[in-house]
Amino acid sequence: MNATRILGWLAAAGLVAGLAAGFGYAPREAVQGNVQRIMYLHVPAVLTAYLAFGLVLVGSVGYLATRRPGWDRLAAAAAEIGVLFTGVTIASGSIWGKPTWGVWWTWDARLTSTAVLFCVYVGYLLLRAMAEDPEARARYAAVVGILGAVNIPIVHFSVKWWRALHQPSTILGPEPSPIAQPILTALAVNAVGFGLLFLYFLARRIEIARLEEDRDHRSALSFGSGAGRLEEEAR
Amino acid sequence: MMPDNWGYVVGAYGVAAVALYGYWRHLCRRARALGRNRRSRA
Amino acid sequence: MSAYARRAWIVLWKDLLTERRSKDSLNALLFFSLLLLFLFEFALGPDRERIRAALPGLFWLGFILAGLLGLGRTFVVERENDCWEGLRLTPGDKSAVYLGKLAGNLVLMAAVEVVLLALSSLLYDVPVFAVAGPLAVALALGTLGVAAVGTLFGALTAQVRAREVLFPVLLLPAIVPLLLAAVSLTRAALAGEPLREAGAWLELLAAADVVYVVVGLLTFEFILDA
Repeated sequence: MNATRILGWLAAAGLVAGLAAGFGYAPREAVQGNVQRIMYLHVPAVLTAYLAFGLVLVGSVGYLATRRPGWDRLAAAAAEIGVLFTGVTIASGSIWGKPTWGVWWTWDARLTSTAVLFCVYVGYLLLRAMAEDPEARARYAAVVGILGAVNIPIVHFSVKWWRALHQPSTILGPEPSPIAQPILTALAVNAVGFGLLFLYFLARRIEIARLEEDRDHRSALSFGSGAGRLEEEAR
Repeated sequence: MMPDNWGYVVGAYGVAAVALYGYWRHLCRRARALGRNRRSRA
Repeated sequence: MSAYARRAWIVLWKDLLTERRSKDSLNALLFFSLLLLFLFEFALGPDRERIRAALPGLFWLGFILAGLLGLGRTFVVERENDCWEGLRLTPGDKSAVYLGKLAGNLVLMAAVEVVLLALSSLLYDVPVFAVAGPLAVALALGTLGVAAVGTLFGALTAQVRAREVLFPVLLLPAIVPLLLAAVSLTRAALAGEPLREAGAWLELLAAADVVYVVVGLLTFEFILDA
């Protein structure tokens, strides 16, 4: 059983533990009732997304510094999975908002920031899809990855201030206040579970990228007459 | 006090489950296709 | 002048000269600004008060739309005449090219902004000259940020498939903070408030500008590179 498989099983265990903590251990919230349990999905998802985009930054800088394709594979994989988790964050936030705020969407600070983040990294993925030369693709994506990551705190603050200017904070917000210990514990367990799932997805996605690069490399080689056959015989 | 709205809870977790499970299946399919591809060339 | 500054100046001068001779981009962009005013009036009018209230936001929407057209083009022209190779072979620090291009883009956007402001001050009775100082600060800071990211992404998308749609897709989410801050500052300036009161926005805008220009300077060479 290789490392990735083990990671997969750990992730599954973590998710199960998270569900148990979120539905069994955590208490029914006083103001919102059980609908608040969506938080055990929403918050870990956004935390994992931030982790993912942090890794995109690491991969981007790493690639520009060393030009080793492994860094680019890390950035690409992390961005793809980050967009997935960001989508889950937005969807769960919206669904949480409907019964608590009465509407599917308000331009609430966190939802808005997350939506902007989503757009930034979808753009990153679109750029990767449109750039054909793999070497240029890695370079261009790295530049966008760096700007995107560096922009995250700027977006966060600007949206927060904009929000504070134009609307008073809603009384029935998604977050219970103050935050009690069992809630924090359940959040932590779910965060770990999601983190493990992220790492598992990351490992598999990077492996797929490596296999794809091998395949493209080999098919490029076999364009020469007989060169491909020679290479395969040598193996 | 608010009613429980379990429907929304199921909805949110359901959407997440579909998305994450779907992505996992997508990864498995891609890996399998690449594995098959590799074997057929070797 | 140091060699670095000379190189940046040469890029800027080349672009300005090309522009002055062909008047390609500038005329079209200026006319585009005029058309935008029509667009605003037809979309939001005829209620004059509604438009006046929305003016800070409309200005910036207009500047950004014009920017999407103008900024996206600056590196495409280089591709058309094989000048890209020339840029790539520039000796020394390639960030000088970035600065030159950025300066050219700033000039272009400034022209568009002046025209748009002048026209709307006539149409909607906006006291632009009374608040020229704070207004200029708000515009300058906002435009610098948009141009900084736009110049970088413009170079990046010049060589990529579907660049006409990819450039806006990349640029717009990145400049959200600039839009939020610049609109707030512009609104404050037009209302005659001293800029000190919108201090937080001013700091955010200035900080964002520094970040974007620095990232541009540091990463531009990787776009030209092979």
